[in-house]
Amino acid sequence: MNEVLALLPVMVPLTAAVVAVALRRRHRVQSAWSFGAMLTSLVFAALLLADVWGEGRPLVFQLGGWPAPFGISLVGDLLSALMVVMCQLVLAGGFLYALGCRDQCAQYPMFYPLFLLLATGLTGAMLTGDLFNLFVFAELLVFSGAALTAMSDDRFGAEAAYKYFYISLVASVALLLACGSLYVSYGTLNIADLARRIAADPSPPLVLPAMAFLMAFFMVKGAVMPFHFWQPDFHTAAPTPVHAVLSSVVVKLGIYGFLRMTTLLFPAQADVIRTVLVIAGAVGVWFGGLGAVGTYDAKRMLAYSTLGQLGFILVGIGWGTPLALAAAIVYAFNHSLLKAAMLMLAGSVASRAPVKTAAFDLITGVGKKMPLAGALFLLGGMGLAGIPPLNGFIGKLMLFQRGVDAQAWLPLAAIGLAGIITLVYVARAFQRIWWAPMPEGAKTKPYGDRLVAPTILIGLSLALGLWAEPLLQLAYATVAWLGAPDQYVRAVLGG
Amino acid sequence: MMEILIALTISLLFAIGVFQLLRRNLIRSAMGLAIITNAVNLFLLAAGAYRGEAPAYVNAAGQRSDALPQALILTAIVIGMGAFAVVLAMVYVLSLRYKTSDSDDVKGLKH
Repeated sequence: MNEVLALLPVMVPLTAAVVAVALRRRHRVQSAWSFGAMLTSLVFAALLLADVWGEGRPLVFQLGGWPAPFGISLVGDLLSALMVVMCQLVLAGGFLYALGCRDQCAQYPMFYPLFLLLATGLTGAMLTGDLFNLFVFAELLVFSGAALTAMSDDRFGAEAAYKYFYISLVASVALLLACGSLYVSYGTLNIADLARRIAADPSPPLVLPAMAFLMAFFMVKGAVMPFHFWQPDFHTAAPTPVHAVLSSVVVKLGIYGFLRMTTLLFPAQADVIRTVLVIAGAVGVWFGGLGAVGTYDAKRMLAYSTLGQLGFILVGIGWGTPLALAAAIVYAFNHSLLKAAMLMLAGSVASRAPVKTAAFDLITGVGKKMPLAGALFLLGGMGLAGIPPLNGFIGKLMLFQRGVDAQAWLPLAAIGLAGIITLVYVARAFQRIWWAPMPEGAKTKPYGDRLVAPTILIGLSLALGLWAEPLLQLAYATVAWLGAPDQYVRAVLGG
Repeated sequence: MMEILIALTISLLFAIGVFQLLRRNLIRSAMGLAIITNAVNLFLLAAGAYRGEAPAYVNAAGQRSDALPQALILTAIVIGMGAFAVVLAMVYVLSLRYKTSDSDDVKGLKH
């Protein structure tokens, strides 16, 4: 009966979204219902993780009772369960922020249903064991994300949504091409079945193109360096609760995809992928860091910072040893919590500014009235830069340790130096918002968005930094599972 | 013969689609997206060993196509239609707001 746990984190938000549409005329009931559904789904995700980790075997739910590879399977192994818990945690945080935020768009009747659909798409894409099903969930994610952005209070919301939607559709085309290529070669789209068949016979000519198309898809999803261009624009204009979620966990779909590709789907050809990832990661770290230093807007700065932080994770995946993979997983978890919290803080500062924007010119000195937000921002920034009391330090330490062990001096120097840039831009933002005096005649608004959600997320990150043992063990266990793809394949296909 | 024709059709559609997708005009690039989506659908159809010699659903001896890609295409067509509708709606909003259909002029977020 436990198998149903692999279904519930997807099913609960989906059903709740439908009901929430029916409740659209009663805003308070709708928001309470949606938040309750989100929390329920988080509980089920946590149960899934506990069960998978405790029993030491993946949970597979065959939709409609059709056995794999003929039906669609939802697979909760340790990696997807961990990722789903991470996503649901940040999504619930985003929801909490939306409940206490003063954006007009959070009052629209379709805001919460769309948010729940976003949760469905993200969770489903990470749990599914079927490539075409991945396409469907990714489209659900893109549609709801673009709609949520387009309804932003910011007048450039439609432009941001258009850019995001357009590039994501092109990425989906790439995924469909990968599906077609793999289907022609192996006659199946079940990921476990594909993994078995690719390992047995990697000779069909369309395997390499399929790999390239899949990489393009995940790179766009993860906003990896050459495919990142939609991301900074998008985050400048999207509503705060939406971009807090999109910049932190939705980009992790790309990370998840790369972990799956290098360990499960294409372990034999993984060297090519890894080389690309190390290069893209190292360049991304620099590009994101320098972009963040040079930008004019606090949210845009954090968006560029995501590029840089993802670079560290990609280098970890690219190095591909157990230590580096564990570092990438810990880093990804930490980055999700911190980046969501930082973006929420930037959003709440913007909500107190005379004109609602996060442009540095207009939020100079606004932080004088919000000391709690300042303290949290500084803590979060230290976490991003990897300074000890926070969880960010551990991921970075593990990553650098792997670099020293393998004597990979060039990438190590690149990411080590670039790590310092993080401090530069965080300190710059902090100084502009919390230290500099307000310009003459400017007045802050007396009320802004509530700080409950970022406080919880930063607190969680602090707790995981001081007591990191469980997360580290989880990461090492996940890497051990990733190293034995047979277990995944056998769990899905049986036998 | 049929395979070559289909391959040529798909590649031609892809070429036109990519060319239109990269145009500056927003409407043309939306059209390009629609064309590429359909090219991919044809590619999926070809993935089911479609030779155009027999319909897919006749259970008789001889050459038959694989039915699964056709199910995939049905899903992809529906999603693609929805996506195209949303893209057109966004282009409409953009053209109202920016009074242009040139993507170079849609740069409110670039400083």
